[in-house]
Amino acid sequence: MKKTILVCCGTGCIAGGSLAVAAALKEKISELNADAAVETGIKQTGCNGFCEHGPIVKIMPDDISYYRVRVKDTAEIIGNLGKKPVERLLYRDDAGKRVKSQMENPFYATQKKLVLRNIGDIDPGNINDYIFRGGYEALKKALSTPPEDIISEVEKSGLRGRGGAGFPTGRKWRIAAGYDNFPKYVIMNGDEGDPGAFMDRSILEGDPHSVLEGIAICALAIGASEGFLYIREEYPLALRNVKKALADAENAGILGDSIFNSGKSLHLSVVRGGGAFVCGESTAMITSIEGGIGQPRAKYLYPTEQGLWNKPTVMNNVETFSNIPLIIGDGGAKFAEIGTENSKGTKVFALVGKIRRSGLVEVPMGTTLREIIFDIGGGIPGERRFKAVQIGGPSGGCLPESLLDVSVDFDTLLSYGAMMGSGGMIVMDERTCMVEVAKYNVEFLAKECCGTCVPCREGLRKLLDILTKICGGTGDNADLEMVESICEALKETSRCGLGKTAANPVLTSLKYFPGEYEEHIAQKRCKAGVCGMGEAK
Amino acid sequence: MNIQIDGKTCIAEPGESILETARRNNIDIPSLCHHEALPGLACCRLCVVEIEDATGNRLVVASCVYPVAESVTVYTNTEKIKKHRRTNLTLLAGHVPEVKGVLLAYCREYGVIRDDSHMKAVVKEKCILCGLCVTACEALGNSAIQMAMRGIDRVVAPPFNEPSLNCIGCASCARVCPTDAIDCESVSGNRKIWGKTFSLVKCAACGEPYATVDELDWLKGKLLDTELNLAYCPNCRRRVSVNTGK
Repeated sequence: MKKTILVCCGTGCIAGGSLAVAAALKEKISELNADAAVETGIKQTGCNGFCEHGPIVKIMPDDISYYRVRVKDTAEIIGNLGKKPVERLLYRDDAGKRVKSQMENPFYATQKKLVLRNIGDIDPGNINDYIFRGGYEALKKALSTPPEDIISEVEKSGLRGRGGAGFPTGRKWRIAAGYDNFPKYVIMNGDEGDPGAFMDRSILEGDPHSVLEGIAICALAIGASEGFLYIREEYPLALRNVKKALADAENAGILGDSIFNSGKSLHLSVVRGGGAFVCGESTAMITSIEGGIGQPRAKYLYPTEQGLWNKPTVMNNVETFSNIPLIIGDGGAKFAEIGTENSKGTKVFALVGKIRRSGLVEVPMGTTLREIIFDIGGGIPGERRFKAVQIGGPSGGCLPESLLDVSVDFDTLLSYGAMMGSGGMIVMDERTCMVEVAKYNVEFLAKECCGTCVPCREGLRKLLDILTKICGGTGDNADLEMVESICEALKETSRCGLGKTAANPVLTSLKYFPGEYEEHIAQKRCKAGVCGMGEAK
Repeated sequence: MNIQIDGKTCIAEPGESILETARRNNIDIPSLCHHEALPGLACCRLCVVEIEDATGNRLVVASCVYPVAESVTVYTNTEKIKKHRRTNLTLLAGHVPEVKGVLLAYCREYGVIRDDSHMKAVVKEKCILCGLCVTACEALGNSAIQMAMRGIDRVVAPPFNEPSLNCIGCASCARVCPTDAIDCESVSGNRKIWGKTFSLVKCAACGEPYATVDELDWLKGKLLDTELNLAYCPNCRRRVSVNTGK
């Protein structure tokens, strides 16, 4: 029986040496194939998500997953093809048992892969791999569907934007479709900049066609024939794979002058981001694409009405677009079966920090933090205690142990002062100082905000000063009052979403860990042992 | 159209901002980054006001860019707004140790006590990064200065911090600056600004230096065939043209 060897070549595994592993496997296979009746194939795939245990090699259809594979292991892997799996390369589960299949691995067992449906199984550089798995069927269907019905289907699915704010995708499309002002544009936001987040990168690297298909469907729905893919320059592999996918799709007549010979055109171009975090904000990104300095616009106008070059524009996140082919293909109602009442579908998280199994996970909306961190992530390494989890990137909030059982969905997270954000999830243990974490986030935002408006630029500058003082053991209670006023001004008077949410890490650490601030100020003590307290130590 | 601002019915022109309507109706809203000749910049966030829509929802917006609409009621001076203005002024004043002029007046009005306890690193900073200079230069078509860097490192500078080829020494930037932050020296027939030195031209009538040579060259290029006697300063030019009928 024909075997296929899948070698994970996502950025994480490449860093672990997977390209050399793939080359070694290829060489050995060609020797093997020379005198074997059955051919063995090899494929380089996108990210499997369990990067910490990479490079990952899978043998199909035997469903064997090997982890931490080195070049020296390749001979044994090939030698054992069709026989007993190489025991020492299998994953050891929590009970200490070696498990063969990916689905027996507790990291994967309870995940639900919709967005990541193809990643790790297909070669992102081969358009036929995508088509073979039903790719671009949804686009064909959309071509014969009136735009109005496409939008209704997306509305029915309840899909909300995966970039952070969670705006209903269907409603956004309907607003843009409603303007009789051409040309219209569609933009993919791939400027993922949160520290520790790599959801969009993995999707772009591992399954670029699913995103292109989603964008094409959106373009048909709103009546756009031009679009831009904004990807940050720091993602070289994502850029390369997307550019190749785009060229392949155009050569195949799927995108370009005439989508599947329908006469409808869609021209997409890749725009490389220069590394400014603030360019992830929609109007800043639009300005950046237009060639200006990436800073959010002052006007109270939505891009759906006046976006790129003041034309109606729909901007969605990578993950949002990747969901679209599923919704159009299987119907919005089916998609809406997954998730909670107001947050439908799944969400991909980058689970990182002080956690035993870190990586890329996809779970249905409404899964609890405890399930993600302890069941999938395996909890905190060593005998340490869980302390907090930060959700939603640098402007997300830090939630304590008492909130581990809350449901992860847009509205619940918001009600506790955190936010879904794009899906970064950083786990912290008892050796983490929450004041120092707040300081870290404020410092990041102070350097990465555009610096235009006073509350954000000067507020973050002052917050950073005060938090540095508190961490150094010279803070006082008057400082905390100032912190509160700044946070209020930030929330209400900042120009854009970055500023409005910038206070979250400070506010949540004050709300859920007030004792730590008190200790730093009154006793000049940092329980976690992170802050050096100068002479008071 | 009519719009309710602080309980007063104000007549507004469609398309104008709440700030413009309010000021024309003698309702004072503070601002540092607004100039009537330039578009709203929405940087200083002192012009924030509360608006209430038909359903009673309240929202804080920057009045210099929020367009007037009959459906909203505006409150310019609520406790919440005053508090935000005080915070933003405190932050600005903390960053600019030499608080003067309009900023100082606002600080007094809103009871801001200058607190520079954390600002020891800042020496003699005057610029509040409102962006008026950059916008004025851009409006004139020169764009010799720009906002450089981002976040707390943001500064106003010519490209690469080198004297800009586009700068004509007109000093419009210095004139619109609310805090007098731009170094512009005029001594012995020369003007120094943004690292460049310009020769000043004296008015043929009153003898006061009134423009730089580069500025007049630029102006000639813009005026094309229009007859305008550039030998005189704007004041004398008016007088001369009245007297000569030209």
